[in-house]
Amino acid sequence: MNTSVTSIKLVLLGEAAVGKSSIVLRFVSNDFSENKEPTIGAAFLTQRVNMGDHTIKFEIWDTAGQERFASLAPMYYRNAQAALVVYDITKPQSFIKARHWVKELHEQASKGIVIALVGNKLDLIEGGAERKVAREEAEKLATEEGLLFFETSAKTGDNVNEVFLGIGQKIPLKKPDEQSQGSSGLRINDDNRVDLAAGGPGSSNAGACNC
Amino acid sequence: MSFFDSIRQKASSVKFLDKLTDSFGPVLTRDEIFKFEYKLPNDENILDDTNADISIISPHMKPKDLRHENEEGMAYVYSGRLFLTSHYLVFKDSFDHSSCVFVLNITTIRRVERAPTTSYAFSLGITLYSGVRIIIQFIGLRSRSEEFCYKLKEQLTKNIPNTKTLTPFLETCYSEYLIARNVLKRVDASPPPAGLGQIYKYPGNPAIMKEKPKLRLWFEYFRDNGKNLTIVKNHMFQKLIRVGVPNRLRGEIWELCSGSMYLRFANQKEYVTILKANEGKTSQAIEEIEKDLNRSLPEYAAYQDEEGIKRLRNVLTAYSWKNPDVGYCQAMNILVAGLLIFMTEEQAFWCLFSLCDNYVPGYYSKTMYGTLLDQKVFESFVESKMPVLSEHITTHDIQLSVVSLPWFLSLFFTSMPLPYAFRIMDIFLVNGPKTLFQVALAILKVNGEDLLEVDDDGMFIAILKNYFQTLDHSAHPESSDIKYKQITKFQELLVVAFKEFSIITDAMVEQERNKYRKDILHNIESFAKRTQLRNLPQTRNLTKDNLSNIYDLFYQSIESHKISMGTGSSNMDFEAFIQFLSKFCDWCKPSESEQIPRFRKQKRGFLKRLFKQWDISSSNELTLNDVVSGLDSLLSKDLMSSINNFFALFDQEGKGEIQREEVLQISEGLLFLTEPWKSGRCVDYLTQKSIEEDIADSLIENNLDHINSMDQIELPSGVVIDEEKYKTEQTERYLKAASNFLQRSFEYARPLDLSEEVDLLDLSDSDGESQDIKKKKWDTLKANAALDPSHPTVIDLATFRMIILADETYELFFAQTLRHSVHVDEKISPADGKGKALRNMFDGLLADGRRVANQMRRRVDSVATKASSSSESPVDYAEKQEELDDFTSYQPDEHVDLLKADLIGFEDGHEQNHQTPKARVESFSLDHTHSHNNESTVEFET
Repeated sequence: MNTSVTSIKLVLLGEAAVGKSSIVLRFVSNDFSENKEPTIGAAFLTQRVNMGDHTIKFEIWDTAGQERFASLAPMYYRNAQAALVVYDITKPQSFIKARHWVKELHEQASKGIVIALVGNKLDLIEGGAERKVAREEAEKLATEEGLLFFETSAKTGDNVNEVFLGIGQKIPLKKPDEQSQGSSGLRINDDNRVDLAAGGPGSSNAGACNC
Repeated sequence: MSFFDSIRQKASSVKFLDKLTDSFGPVLTRDEIFKFEYKLPNDENILDDTNADISIISPHMKPKDLRHENEEGMAYVYSGRLFLTSHYLVFKDSFDHSSCVFVLNITTIRRVERAPTTSYAFSLGITLYSGVRIIIQFIGLRSRSEEFCYKLKEQLTKNIPNTKTLTPFLETCYSEYLIARNVLKRVDASPPPAGLGQIYKYPGNPAIMKEKPKLRLWFEYFRDNGKNLTIVKNHMFQKLIRVGVPNRLRGEIWELCSGSMYLRFANQKEYVTILKANEGKTSQAIEEIEKDLNRSLPEYAAYQDEEGIKRLRNVLTAYSWKNPDVGYCQAMNILVAGLLIFMTEEQAFWCLFSLCDNYVPGYYSKTMYGTLLDQKVFESFVESKMPVLSEHITTHDIQLSVVSLPWFLSLFFTSMPLPYAFRIMDIFLVNGPKTLFQVALAILKVNGEDLLEVDDDGMFIAILKNYFQTLDHSAHPESSDIKYKQITKFQELLVVAFKEFSIITDAMVEQERNKYRKDILHNIESFAKRTQLRNLPQTRNLTKDNLSNIYDLFYQSIESHKISMGTGSSNMDFEAFIQFLSKFCDWCKPSESEQIPRFRKQKRGFLKRLFKQWDISSSNELTLNDVVSGLDSLLSKDLMSSINNFFALFDQEGKGEIQREEVLQISEGLLFLTEPWKSGRCVDYLTQKSIEEDIADSLIENNLDHINSMDQIELPSGVVIDEEKYKTEQTERYLKAASNFLQRSFEYARPLDLSEEVDLLDLSDSDGESQDIKKKKWDTLKANAALDPSHPTVIDLATFRMIILADETYELFFAQTLRHSVHVDEKISPADGKGKALRNMFDGLLADGRRVANQMRRRVDSVATKASSSSESPVDYAEKQEELDDFTSYQPDEHVDLLKADLIGFEDGHEQNHQTPKARVESFSLDHTHSHNNESTVEFET
């Protein structure tokens, strides 16, 4: 039995109350809670998934959605190998915000980051609510930007695991011995961001990638 | 041992004091420091202060508290400093600054009298509403004491109207109720309104928390030392807070410590008024609040109920109206949810206000700069106080702030079990911002060894999460000493935080904040800029650099907006719009023409149209996106769309045709837009070309005799151009274009029945006429056409385009001149009016001699082919071109030199040669005479 474990750092981004934390909760604990406290800063969770003879360990960073927290986001998506950009299919504004996130990730995040565009709250449509973001529109964005695309319901669990499996398949697996070194290759420290450690050059953070 | 400890502590604090002197933070005034220390509202400035001895006699005091029975003068005496503000009498003992401290509201004073005293000193006896007597014995010059008393008397008089608000206020204080019931034995007294905890139970186990005995201690404290607006704080006060405030009293103590009680007392109606005034209104903050109402401490019973949700909504929305710069930030919901367990809505509202202003400044602002700053400060504390852990964190690339940010932002409410978070809050409110750093450092310290074992964020977080969940466990489970074993992790944490990290002072926090503030704000600004630029609409005519410039110009024009702080509106109103355009559009720059009322009217009229066109959402404000889209279409390189765009400004219904009145307005608009060229402040391409040609012509002419081949061209060392001549020519051209435009407009307007007027107003042969007469003619024309309602006419877009294209100047204007007059590529230069643009234009023209050189080359070419027999090889030709370029590149300076000599040289040209180039340029502009000059100069006159 080969039990090599690959860690994937994954970050969730998207407007407030689109269901980022709920998607994570569904994926990690197969649970749902109607009134989840808003995420302050970010929450961190992990989940292991077996894929063939590999095990993937998702290190999930779930971020706060409110606009003003956006300046903190670079702190969380730095070094991320994967990102879930989530929107609410009944809220067009959240889709616009999703576009912005995709742009930002392409510009600022690690090169080769795998991004999945996720339209959440599918259950609301089934419950009779009006869909405000067309599937085609989202698919078009996904094709243009090279994203994975899913529509999910964190409430019913519909399609949630598929998102993570899809990401797991798309990320090249590393052999265990490569991992420690390999991950440092991904740790691109982009200076163009609000960096809490940015006390100027030579600050504690700048040396971090030399490890 | 403890002696050495305290010496070490002293030594380290001295070191920090040294450091403090290096700090370059903003210097606070004495009043500001004073208000911050006593948590007083903003308007409580010091009116007077004096040294004094104070003794306090409570009517409920047990005789043992007095040194001698029934002898008022023999109560404890505290020496210290007494301050008077407009509503408060503040005292602090000078022994250890915490033996006797009070902030006494003047309205609580019932009587002031000269106290009988055995000494010569000057004393006052003050009696409060509660029967407490305070004896003030003034120290210092008698006259100063008298002055203080006089001012106190003044304030007493001024505060008389406020006394009627005192009783209703006191009825909201639980401390009053405790005394009324237990001391005054008033059975009819009813408890004041309370927080949600009174209905839904307080979190935690009341037995474990020893609620009853704690409440009793507080009751005794209130009885002996006064309460709420008259409370005297001594060591016991601090001690009682450290052991944890009983739930029923917590709201009032939080109010008292944060100073929000003073705000609430001073603004008793405000909370209700805000809610009422904004009832039913909506805003972005309101929408965001609604999203989170069900998500604020959802495990607490009250927040699964309408009542709890309602209170939460009220406080958060009221705050968002009170402070729109902050509005609503996630985490505030959790904070307020916590406050509301112990406080009424109004109390929580003012407490939140106080917290945001004094305790966590900038934490919840639109950019969260305070949060980012304090994370940086925290990291620097970790680095200096726990270097090993800090290095470990750095080596393993663990982002500390990822862990610590929620601690600070939600004041531990989301990290620790609530009863513990509330205990931290008790101390935080009394000790100030340093508390958060002390606790956070202690958390890392206590878990230090475990944290050093892990190498990734995930494990780091897991350790701390587990720690918070086991705060009630024993800190020393293995110990055989039962007493030692009973110490919980939470108690241990408090000890580490407030003993070991007592070295962290508010001054140090402030010093570190000052150190990093600039960097953080700068980072936020550049982040905000990048984000906004990234999300701008697509543009066809603006480059990335242009957009970056526009962004800078845009925000510079909105003075009230601070990008890094996220305060003020980021939208542009009409006045700011004018400021904005005047920074980079030639036709909007301040000019002499502004003195003419008609021009001012034209300007505002046109800009108003432009503003309206750009204001896509019709909100009477422009966003950056609006401005970018607007400029993008204004700068269209396509002649037709440029004309269409201009036409659309006047065709507001979008019908594709405009009425006669609008034709007149179009003409006004054109007159305004073309003013810089009409007045000669700017030079358009036609003029430029003619100048170049003239220069080239004259160079050739003057040197023709000597030229046999290209090699023989002798380049002149200076050129004079007759500014006035070109100015006049250009002015005439523009005036003619304007008159032609009007004439043709009415000629081609549908239906065509204005021929008579048009004939009358043919201005095409008005060369000799002065501008004044022409203007008069326009006025007549305008009047005639506008006042003739019997002949309605319209011009459609196609006709308009034809009319524009029929005139070389206007065609060029829309094809190029207008576009070139909008300098989105230039970094901002302060506009300084008065014809400088023209001078710059001429200077620039000559400095950029390449074009002139090319003109010349063409002529030399033709002359050379005529006159010379030698044929030039391409290589030679290239060399010559090089030479010409050389000449033009140094020529401007020289020509200005000569010019100056030419003009001032009548007197003493040689001396003037030493003038700076700038001065020479000035003199150039004075050259309105067609003066001749010495041999080496070539003058141009056609």
